[in-house]
Amino acid sequence: MTGAHDVTVHPPRLRVGIVGAGFMAETHLAALAAEDVQAIVYNRDADRATALAGRFGAGLATTFEELLEAVDVVDVCTATHRHATFAIAAAAAGRHVIVEKPLARTLEDGTAILSACERAGVRLFVAHVVRYFPEYEAAHRLVASGAIGDPAVVRLKRASFRPRHGAGHWLFDTAQSGGMILDLMVHDFDYARWVAGDVVSVHCRSVGIERPQLGVDHAFAILTHASGAISHITGSWAYAAPTFRTALEIAGSHGLIEHDSESSKPIVSYLHPGRADHGDGDAGQAVGLPASPVREDPYRLELREFLRAIAEGTPARVTARDGLEALRIALAADESARTGRVVRLPPTPVPEVAR
Amino acid sequence: MTAQPVRLGLLSAAHVHADGYLDVLAAMPGVALVGLWDDDEGRGSAAAARHRTAFFPTEGALLEQLDGVVVASVNSEHRRLTELAAEARVHVLCEKPLATRVADARAMVATCTTAGITLMTAFPMRFSPVLLELQRALRDGTLGDLACFEGVNTGQLPDHDRPWFTDPVLAGGGAIIDHVVHLADAYRWLLGSEVVEVVAVANRILQRHRAGVETGGLISLRFADGVFATIDCSWSKPPGYPTWGGLRIEAVGSAGVIAADAFRQRLDLYGSAEADVSWPAWGSDANVAMIGEFVTAIRKGRAPTVTGLDGLRALEIVDAAYRSIETGEPVPLEIQRPDA
Repeated sequence: MTGAHDVTVHPPRLRVGIVGAGFMAETHLAALAAEDVQAIVYNRDADRATALAGRFGAGLATTFEELLEAVDVVDVCTATHRHATFAIAAAAAGRHVIVEKPLARTLEDGTAILSACERAGVRLFVAHVVRYFPEYEAAHRLVASGAIGDPAVVRLKRASFRPRHGAGHWLFDTAQSGGMILDLMVHDFDYARWVAGDVVSVHCRSVGIERPQLGVDHAFAILTHASGAISHITGSWAYAAPTFRTALEIAGSHGLIEHDSESSKPIVSYLHPGRADHGDGDAGQAVGLPASPVREDPYRLELREFLRAIAEGTPARVTARDGLEALRIALAADESARTGRVVRLPPTPVPEVAR
Repeated sequence: MTAQPVRLGLLSAAHVHADGYLDVLAAMPGVALVGLWDDDEGRGSAAAARHRTAFFPTEGALLEQLDGVVVASVNSEHRRLTELAAEARVHVLCEKPLATRVADARAMVATCTTAGITLMTAFPMRFSPVLLELQRALRDGTLGDLACFEGVNTGQLPDHDRPWFTDPVLAGGGAIIDHVVHLADAYRWLLGSEVVEVVAVANRILQRHRAGVETGGLISLRFADGVFATIDCSWSKPPGYPTWGGLRIEAVGSAGVIAADAFRQRLDLYGSAEADVSWPAWGSDANVAMIGEFVTAIRKGRAPTVTGLDGLRALEIVDAAYRSIETGEPVPLEIQRPDA
């Protein structure tokens, strides 16, 4: 893609509006760059939006209303606490909605997003990208095929360094982001539920140890699933950069799946320091992302599946309800960590959103 | 200076660790392996023959020739055999868990204290060079302020020709009583602090056709000094796993994370059958240093570095875990000062 596109040139192409100009907006724009879609960026900081749109040859909207006019799908990549405002407005305007995880900052907001999309008859997708990582997808496929029998004990780990944002960044304001438990652990809450089913109780302990003033950076959560399976989830921003370690163990009645990103690195460098630009593998990136060289970028697979689901009316592997349930588990974990109590999650009626 | 050899024996070869202990006893300098007793004469005679030692038909006949004894019976027999040893004034190294019930463990500690004999609990992880290295890193400040531990002590269902491991009476429970004690003790030892609260969940999905006890379990502990920790004690390694299981600890502190794997020192061995892989260990056998400590304690007439009280504390944590599973709630544990 080169240069800014005129939004009226290719009417059949899906037009995707990205709201936000931060790390996830950039990640989604990069993933969309190879797709046959028209991307348009809106952010209230016009300078950042312009710079980001320019880098990816995307269009630019100067107001959110202008964005709504110009697109078929709105992809909300803002700070978590602002998801609901944009998602509900997009739905009300009849636009399909993609929301970065977690779905929302509060259960009320999350439920309101689902209701708004249902009322408007538009599709809603929550970007739980872990379901599109090949190792996680392969493990899920094995479980679904019965290779290990019924899931019994699930261990999931997602461990990295605290994102290198300034102390005033929204991610470090619990009121805006929900902190590490909502932002990072929600990935594995969703994955645990994908492999072992609905969760009925949550126990969690957390700590802020590396820079306590910036909030929680390490937590363990223990989940009990309705099936009787139990899960141990570790989330961490307390590791040293540039670590991004992920691990999974799924033990079932008849077998076991193990994976650790540390022991499955297909290419490892042993370079003399100072002889190469990034000899330590640390390019100084602001936020850790798990990465193993694969032909298909998980973010691209995710967005491609969402856009295809919209174009063809097909289901995607992650539903709106999945996004809401992952949020419920994360909020329960946060509550448990704060109160020390075991938090029960009674099954609650959830609005069924158009598939 | 040639000291008299310390005369040691084994009460019961029921436990899977018995053969390993006999290997160490037979090879240890300054130790005379006198023999063993077992209530199953076939099993006992076979073990005695394998290790070229004597089989004794009664506990008393063996005990009267010993300075110290290793108890490796079914868990529910630990108390009776320890009390027999105490009566014979023979020092005891008892397999973990110390007993199947807290009251039994408490009685064992009291009996041995009164009799003036040593009661040591077999917690070999305190003697693992890998965990000793972790302890050094915690002590010298490498990790900064310690926040929490994540521990995994998972393994295969240990019922291979030892069906009592899944008998709730003989074993005292399933995966929780079998595996929680190792990490619970390691944490207490690394921290020098006591557990004040336990949360646990468990299920019986893994290998459920083979076991009538819990086979999966996750435990969460909070210590008096504010550190918290988890333990995965599940029998989650299937029969096709390349080794019996393992024990790992990740310690999280203000300076980052240190991950220790007590059994990572291994070879990859491939056989001729399809998917025939095993992991022969080459790391130091922690049992050697553990039994060495028992021998030294006897020789010097001092308390061992790991005692019956440590076994009791670990069992109290197990007991609290079972109560938490029953209620679904956190169970507080009183911080108990050493009674002895």
